[in-house]
Amino acid sequence: MAKKTGRVAFDSEPSNVIEAFAQRMMSRPQSVYQVLFYIAVGFFLLISLFPLYWLMILSLTPQSNIAGMNALTPNGFNPGVYMQIFEEVPFHLYIMNSLIIAAITTFVVLLIGSIGGYVFGRYEFPGRTPLMLGVLVISYFPPAAFLIPLFQLFTGNIDLFGLGISYPELYNTPGAVTLPLSALVMPLVIFILATFYGQIPDGLEDAARIEGSTRIGALFKIIVPLSAPGVATAGVLTFIIVYNEFFFSFLMLEGNPQEWGVLLHGIFRYQGTRSQAHNLMAAASLVGVIPMAAIVALAQDKIVSGLTQGALKE
Amino acid sequence: MAGERRTSRRAFRPDLALLNRIERLSDTQFVYLMLTPVFVLLGSMAIWPLIDTFQLSLHADSITTSGATGDFTGLENYIEMLTGNANTLLPRPFLDISEPFTSAVSVTLIFTVVAVLFETALGFGMALVLDKQFTGRRWVRVAIILPWAVPIVIQGMIFYLIFTPGVGFAAGPLADLGLISQAPLANSQDSLLVVILSDIWKQSAFMALLILAGLQSIDRDLYNVAKVTGASKIQEFWTITFPLVLPTLLIALLFRTIAALKVYGAIVTVTNCNTLPSLTCLVVSTWNANRYASAATIAFIMAAVIALALIGYLWKLRDLDYGGV
Repeated sequence: MAKKTGRVAFDSEPSNVIEAFAQRMMSRPQSVYQVLFYIAVGFFLLISLFPLYWLMILSLTPQSNIAGMNALTPNGFNPGVYMQIFEEVPFHLYIMNSLIIAAITTFVVLLIGSIGGYVFGRYEFPGRTPLMLGVLVISYFPPAAFLIPLFQLFTGNIDLFGLGISYPELYNTPGAVTLPLSALVMPLVIFILATFYGQIPDGLEDAARIEGSTRIGALFKIIVPLSAPGVATAGVLTFIIVYNEFFFSFLMLEGNPQEWGVLLHGIFRYQGTRSQAHNLMAAASLVGVIPMAAIVALAQDKIVSGLTQGALKE
Repeated sequence: MAGERRTSRRAFRPDLALLNRIERLSDTQFVYLMLTPVFVLLGSMAIWPLIDTFQLSLHADSITTSGATGDFTGLENYIEMLTGNANTLLPRPFLDISEPFTSAVSVTLIFTVVAVLFETALGFGMALVLDKQFTGRRWVRVAIILPWAVPIVIQGMIFYLIFTPGVGFAAGPLADLGLISQAPLANSQDSLLVVILSDIWKQSAFMALLILAGLQSIDRDLYNVAKVTGASKIQEFWTITFPLVLPTLLIALLFRTIAALKVYGAIVTVTNCNTLPSLTCLVVSTWNANRYASAATIAFIMAAVIALALIGYLWKLRDLDYGGV
């Protein structure tokens, strides 16, 4: 369409390459845009995927050949490295611990967050706006500002209410990661769920109430089943965030695989014990990405809607 | 459920009695009862630690007895920190303009500004691509989101390997060109570059998704009008796309900026907090050096700056009648 309008008129001949290109672009925009578009797609695919592809190449190259490798093909072929990472370090235990902690946190956050989301999404009450702002602000505080008191609390160095009752020693247990992370993820979950709950027509809940259901009964019988997609979205995001988390996992756990050491501790063991094992580091990193790659491939719609709602609806 | 009233005449059921009590609360009472678990969790894991951090920061360091702080000194820690007098006591200076790559504020600011700038540009490009209909779009989107879902430790490990001399493809050529040193991961300036690159790789997708949401809310008819009036694609972008996506872009920028200010894991994985001290790094290493009060001071300064920026921004959004709060 645009090429027929013919509104482009150049007075002079192009004097350099850039001008010639610009002139061509102005006279036949559609085809040039098409080409540029596919170049852009290729470019973005390349920067997203190349580091992971290179990681695979590095892992398949035997350690002794790494010095002579190029950036595109493996130098030798050593698939045994994917067995070796489990023999050198109990990597499966680390991944298992990460998955368990992520699952516990997701459960806690969904349980508490769905009530919060229900209330914020469906009730108008005094103090709603300040409370919502407060909840939102909390999620953006730096974890560093919570570190020292929480560490003292979890190592049993805080006297609760001055009564000599000390808090259970959660340091080096899943609780030490789950509790602070639940608090940090909670606002995001509340906002996602509030949006979903808010969209359910009032009539359905009213009908249940007239039938004699309580408010809590209506929540679990009407609202929760209808907002299953929202609950799934919040759950997927929480799981990814906790599995990927660094700060509390690193500082609140000692990293022993039998005692809740998580993925990052496992990865660090390849970096620490044998400084030459670059192929093992690469292989372990790729294996560590697999659970997340599977979730992204299966639940990309949920991730997209959750992230955009979580951020934009706030 | 219908027979709740009559249950009292039969055997006493504590669970039904409780439900009955809850049902008779007013809406406001009910709401606050329901929110109790949220308040308990946020109160104990976020609000109390924040207040306690502030209290710690009002005391002197006590390096002889670990875990305790010294006398109450009021705001002195803040004065010492902000005037630079505390720099020599810390593992790395808080802010020292003469060594920008090893002082916490400057490292954090350089990291945040550069990373967020490139993430915005790349994210905008990705969003424009994903906004179009084309075959395979679904899988292109999976590929673009994937780095966002990569754990921080693996993000750091990838770039650690890429820039390890003799292993990574980037270390040798860039060093030959004189752009980085022979041991980039032991050099503050070079490792800052590596950490920035790793963050751009991971977080551009987040920007892309938010901007994409903004793009998709634009009324498509506007583009038809532009076509009829003969606007070029570039004019289309600056007169329609950019202004309409700007509010979303600003929100995305705010979120990425705040997240970038907290950088920690990528630094620990790529290099260490001594080579490249970000603010969070400095809190942890000061704390490890048993200077609890100084660590708390830095942490609280971070929290205060972030909170003020966020509250100001949110109130502004409310005035614009844009946010849903």
